[in-house]
Amino acid sequence: MLKTLDPLDTAVLPLRVAPAPALARFTLRIDPASRSMAGQAFGVSLPERIGALSQEGDRRAVQLGPDEWVLYAPEAEGQALAGRFRSLAEPHSLVATGDRELAFLVEGARAATALMAACPLDLDAMAAGTATRTVFDKVAILLVKESGERFRVECWRSFAPHLVGLLAVIERELAAGL
Amino acid sequence: MSRFRVADRGRIERSRTLSFTFDGQRYQGHPGDTLASALLANGVHLVGRSFKYHRPRGFLAAGSEEPNALVGVDRGPGRYEPNTRATVLELFEGLKATSQNRWPSLSLDVGAVNDALGPLFTAGFYYKTFMWPKGFWNKVYEPVIRHAAGLGRAPDKADADTYASRYAHCDVLVVGAGPAGLAAALASARAGAKVMVADEGAEMGGALLSDLSSRVDGVPASQWLADTLDELASLGTVTLLPRTTAIGYYHQNMVGLCQRVTDHLANAPSGAPRERLWRVRASQVVLAQGAIEKPLVFAGNDRPGVMLAGAARTYLNRYGVKVGERALVVTAHDSAWEAAFDLKQAGIAVPAILDTRRAVSDALLAKASALGIETLLGWTVSGTAGRLRVSSATVNPLGPSGKPGAGRRIDCDCVLMSGGWTPSVHLFSHSMGKLEWSEALQAYLPGEPREALRCAGAGTGVFTLQGALETGVEAGAAAARDAGFAGDAPRFAAQEEAASAGEAKADLPSASGSAYAKAFVDFQNDVTAKDVRLAVREGFRSIEHIKRYTTTGMATDQGKTSNINGLAIASGALGKPVPQVGLTTFRPPFTPTTFGAFIGYAKGELFDVTRKTPIDSWAERNRAVFEPVALWRRARYFPKGGESMEEAVRRECRATRSSVGIFDASTLGKIEVVGPDAAEFLNRLYVNAWTKLAPGRCRYGLLLGEDGFIRDDGVVGRLAQDRFHVTTTTGGAPRVLSIMEDYLQTEWPDLKVWVTSTTEEWAVIALNGPDARRVLEGLVEGIDLSPEAFPHMAVAEGTIMGLPLRLFRVSFTGELGFEVNVPARHGLAVWERLIEAGRPYGICPYGTETMHVLRAEKGYIIVGQETDGTVTPGDAGLGWAIGKAKPDFVGKRGLARPDLVASGRRQLVGLLTDDPGHVLEEGAQIVLDPAQSVPMKMVGHVTSSYWSEALGRSIALALVENGQALHGATVHVPMPDATFTAQVAGTVFYDPKGERLNG
Amino acid sequence: MLLIRCPYCEADRPEVEFTYAGEAHIARPPDPSTLSDDAFRDFLYVRSNTRGLFAERWRHAHGCGRFFNALRETVSDKFAATYKVGEARPAPEETSR
Repeated sequence: MLKTLDPLDTAVLPLRVAPAPALARFTLRIDPASRSMAGQAFGVSLPERIGALSQEGDRRAVQLGPDEWVLYAPEAEGQALAGRFRSLAEPHSLVATGDRELAFLVEGARAATALMAACPLDLDAMAAGTATRTVFDKVAILLVKESGERFRVECWRSFAPHLVGLLAVIERELAAGL
Repeated sequence: MSRFRVADRGRIERSRTLSFTFDGQRYQGHPGDTLASALLANGVHLVGRSFKYHRPRGFLAAGSEEPNALVGVDRGPGRYEPNTRATVLELFEGLKATSQNRWPSLSLDVGAVNDALGPLFTAGFYYKTFMWPKGFWNKVYEPVIRHAAGLGRAPDKADADTYASRYAHCDVLVVGAGPAGLAAALASARAGAKVMVADEGAEMGGALLSDLSSRVDGVPASQWLADTLDELASLGTVTLLPRTTAIGYYHQNMVGLCQRVTDHLANAPSGAPRERLWRVRASQVVLAQGAIEKPLVFAGNDRPGVMLAGAARTYLNRYGVKVGERALVVTAHDSAWEAAFDLKQAGIAVPAILDTRRAVSDALLAKASALGIETLLGWTVSGTAGRLRVSSATVNPLGPSGKPGAGRRIDCDCVLMSGGWTPSVHLFSHSMGKLEWSEALQAYLPGEPREALRCAGAGTGVFTLQGALETGVEAGAAAARDAGFAGDAPRFAAQEEAASAGEAKADLPSASGSAYAKAFVDFQNDVTAKDVRLAVREGFRSIEHIKRYTTTGMATDQGKTSNINGLAIASGALGKPVPQVGLTTFRPPFTPTTFGAFIGYAKGELFDVTRKTPIDSWAERNRAVFEPVALWRRARYFPKGGESMEEAVRRECRATRSSVGIFDASTLGKIEVVGPDAAEFLNRLYVNAWTKLAPGRCRYGLLLGEDGFIRDDGVVGRLAQDRFHVTTTTGGAPRVLSIMEDYLQTEWPDLKVWVTSTTEEWAVIALNGPDARRVLEGLVEGIDLSPEAFPHMAVAEGTIMGLPLRLFRVSFTGELGFEVNVPARHGLAVWERLIEAGRPYGICPYGTETMHVLRAEKGYIIVGQETDGTVTPGDAGLGWAIGKAKPDFVGKRGLARPDLVASGRRQLVGLLTDDPGHVLEEGAQIVLDPAQSVPMKMVGHVTSSYWSEALGRSIALALVENGQALHGATVHVPMPDATFTAQVAGTVFYDPKGERLNG
Repeated sequence: MLLIRCPYCEADRPEVEFTYAGEAHIARPPDPSTLSDDAFRDFLYVRSNTRGLFAERWRHAHGCGRFFNALRETVSDKFAATYKVGEARPAPEETSR
């Protein structure tokens, strides 16, 4: 399903698309007033602005909406994490969504250009270390700008072939250099 | 070198020669040529036949405004394009072009008889001539006209090219890279703004590309152009897009650009798209689109060899091509004089410059005199002669009253005309900016803008080079400033000789009143001055109506060369000033744009998203036949050997009812509803009562709109006091989630409950049939599957193959049923393991078709099939689901509306045809009395209809007026070839007591 | 394509991220059962169809997911203001026009 370029080619090609390693992933919904308790349960304080990201070690939290965060942790820690939230007294909803999504890393000098083939946001202007939900062609995505030339793109599992297929066409287009 | 090539002029690459063909004839040109310049260099003027009269036509213009020279270009299989303007088609090695709208050949065209019949084909001829007799239109007139009139032929093969799209964002977008646009770009870029410059030409420079005499800051204009482009390219903040047409201006400075990426290449690199559609969001826009020269309207102004004076100058100076050897210049504007001087200096005979004005500047007269050109001031031209190419023109002095005097014939092989210049305000007009009529220029100019944009150069009616540079700098600097970049605006000083005065003429006074004389206003749609006047005589007053009646301005060129002339003639005929006659609306795209550019990547596999389940690959390997359901593709049935769908479905039905069937239900929508108020939320939203549903139990949930009509349904399992697993229909999942968010965010923000889509978190495998439990028993851990511990409508969490499992005991078939939910990534492995475990029982994979049959046998509805947005729970026989004690839920008040409690509603019933072998057609209408006259009173329709393998006969579900009171009655289903009779029955055809559910 | 300011994200975002959700400020009656048939019909179906400034609902569906309200000029399509659920419709002088 995935058509990715040979990693050895990254020196000459402006773009690389590869599946991201699997992580435990949870969708957390909670009243922002209870944010700090949730941060304690997670072990990393939650960001306080939509689009912001906080990270400590291999745990990461991304705020997507006023009362919505995505939490990431190493796969092996998923169960324990869910257990800690079960004992969180503040009303909340924690739902595992690690299987719902597939994630890809889009890297290279032309990464932003490649994504802007079908994403209407100004990804050059997007600050590194921020995230947003948006669209790529007809696919709803969660986009994290890890650095100037590195993006993490997540979409629902069944949309991934479309996303990757389109990125493969765009790779060829950029490689043609016109 | 060909006869018409000039040695010392032009920007073409003379060292390389390109071969091309036109109508099969081989010619040669050079890189830098357009097809038009290359043909003219070979002396070819005749390139097409006109739309209506099949008159021979040549090149009118040298740019994208060309109305006549439309050709077909064949780049190989799937790469034929009709109606390409030869004036913008860049020459490449091996180009194959053909003329259009002629039969059997361009120089001998049978359709030209239309020209002789001209008086019949006047304005509105479609509406008038062919009204009678009725019926003649389709059979006689229409086919004949379709054959005779028209432009190119449509391609008959799928487009083999690929197309791309891109979003871009910049501080300043400059449209047009003539002197004004480049000055604007430079001013913006030097201030530090991120700039994009789009120009439709192969080379940037606009008018500078054909200007050999002007200088900027002491260097020739061409040198200034090269220096400027170098500087822009070196800044790193400027994107230069040649071959890129700004096709439309949309809200908030989104401008659509169509970039032609490979059309100019004989061999395009693999992976490169043919065209790319840019959607540019600019914080500021500068429009510097220039101006389009107006033709003069006189009899015979369409004869090949008659062209715009500016175009002839461009062909000479930019392409090194003489458009003829003897050029008569007829004009109402100074600019044609400059063209005449250039041509004369290049060695072309200019027998006369005819100007409709009685006086022009002394400088022009002096220069004409110095070059030995006769000048005719206050003259008109009343006709041209020549069969396929102009050979002479008749010119007449204008008397004191403006009447033409005795004619004089001037031999010539081309007539260069100019009626002045029309500023290009198309994009400004797209942006909803207000246009203002300039009486002095006789043109519409950009007025107050509605977006963050500025206009500069000839597009604002400033026709001098110095003016273009100044307005460009001013616009570019101001745009940068408003985008947040301040800087010193550059200054440029131009030295030029061009004069730019002129007068506007509606059409030229003519000496001849002949009905056959045609003075064309709109060349592409063959509209004459007479047609416009006729429309006014017949009572048309608004320019919008005159446009549609005469079709002026409605061709693919959208009247670029004709609108203002048409308007001036209408204005004169109406006796009203132009601003009161109005102006037709400019609409995108600015020039014809391929469908491919708009489609972009969305073709083939990428045409649309095809969602596939985690088990899809197994279905594909096992030769499933798929069907689309919403964006999903689902296995419809699994034919074995040469089975038909009917045979496969019968087998799948038998296996499921007799042993066990396995079904991929992963597409079912799933929403996790979590929070202390989860039950209260579901109480308010769904018709059912939820408070008393114990954890570990499921209930069928029914969702209505506020209007009381069914919106969705699905099984809801309570996993814990504060956690529900809600399922929805496959197609309804996003809608239900949105409805839930809507109520939670806007109506009940007090509720502590949240919803999360888990549709794709879980792969869902349904096992149905008497052996279903046996298949699962050895695999499931942590759940006691015995009927006592895990009865119908139970839900529990456990493991299967060591993986997390949510197991539902539910049935959509009426058989003992389980739904195995496992994390999506493991769906395929679990499916394969279950198939293996089911082998001893003859487990049978089934698809959506069998699922439909089995549920219909049980009378289970499918939302969207049994319901259509006007069906209530009572209509569907689901009134039992409503929690009667609840004070309120979404749809409760709606159900009490007068129309919903009235009698005569269509209610869901079963139908059993008198002929048990006949399967009714879904959607078929139902009547009570088949003998009544047409139109019959239709009392309902068939919603589902199948062959029931379990019953050995056909079954159907239907919505029928008062159906629930009609049990046992006979209804009739009239079809085109027969009327079928059926008895109204209950909706549960199979196992009415529901005993099989208990397995 | 319009740019729409999401009052929750506090950013101008492209129209394709949003879905339209009908006229604003039509609250669900607290107890619909007390409404007359005519009053309930009006709640369900009767809309103002304004020419000019119109209060309507949008959802930043492919962004923060929130429903919000907007004042939009229906002739020019231009947004005059967007505001959060529960906030009062801005007075004309508070809009960006």
